[in-house]
Amino acid sequence: MQRIDPAEYQKRLARLSEILNGIAQHAAEMTTARCPYKDRHDCCTAKFGCRNQRRGEGKLLMCAGDDKLDYRSAWESDG
Amino acid sequence: MAELNDISNEFIRGEIDEFIERPDERERIINLFAGSKDNMQAIAAALIDGDNELVDQLTREALDSGIEALEVMDFGLIAGMAIVGVKFRQNFIFVPEVLACARAMKAGMAHIEPILSASGIEPIGKVIMGTVKGDLHDIGKNLCIMMLRGAGFEVIDLGVDTSADRFIEAVEEHSAPLLGMSALLTTTMPNMGKTIEAFIDADLRDNVKIMVGGAPVTQEFADDMGADGYGKDAMACVALAKQLMCVAQ
Repeated sequence: MQRIDPAEYQKRLARLSEILNGIAQHAAEMTTARCPYKDRHDCCTAKFGCRNQRRGEGKLLMCAGDDKLDYRSAWESDG
Repeated sequence: MAELNDISNEFIRGEIDEFIERPDERERIINLFAGSKDNMQAIAAALIDGDNELVDQLTREALDSGIEALEVMDFGLIAGMAIVGVKFRQNFIFVPEVLACARAMKAGMAHIEPILSASGIEPIGKVIMGTVKGDLHDIGKNLCIMMLRGAGFEVIDLGVDTSADRFIEAVEEHSAPLLGMSALLTTTMPNMGKTIEAFIDADLRDNVKIMVGGAPVTQEFADDMGADGYGKDAMACVALAKQLMCVAQ
């Protein structure tokens, strides 16, 4: 089996962490303005109920939220 | 200097053309992919597409064909994730798509882990993660898991609606020194405290460091319930995990 130089691997982890830090930072900013469960097609990916969910044509429910309100109040606690 | 047409993979060319706008980033990414093999570009493309099964297959094939694991990371997995990061920053994709790409990254890394292990490179720690009983919100936890894995932790994800017994069972089964609990609802937040109590009752509290997080959780609440630490977001979660594991940051 091939071997990996630990120092070289650390460099890759550092590069990956840099990318992921950027993602996490942007995610933290985004969640104040857009529901994080809403994908790029405005489909809801949540596994729980939300009053903003509407039945669409596809398999996933659509999000009818306008993101202007605090969307978290729409989430149900009991799924 | 390489040009876009020097990249053989049509999907990657399209992604760069459509989504990478900043000239410095565009130049760097074009140079990276232009110098990479076709199968590395295919791995990156599958990762950007969030196709974990294809990343799994292509990574295995690449390693079996003798390609170095670091090359797979550089030109396949990390290169793909770099494009994902730019697309997310520019709001072309959102958290669910990013998490699909992270799952694809994990599928690829699963083939590199045995090589790491054989090279004497172990994860910096083992973490059990889960959303507490009664709570089905998982995005925050999943972002934390993505970050922890990227930082070199091994993460066992228990998913959502996790009972105290399940947390205890997982910590024992995996001999994990670290546990992370997430809750998004004020109604389920007390289940974090109940889980900590269950660890005390099982006489296992000293065996594991417990970190908590989630929108309604505060440092004060974490202190009150007896957690070892509180992370307000995914970045803080990684910093806290490293601190609790005494890893230099």
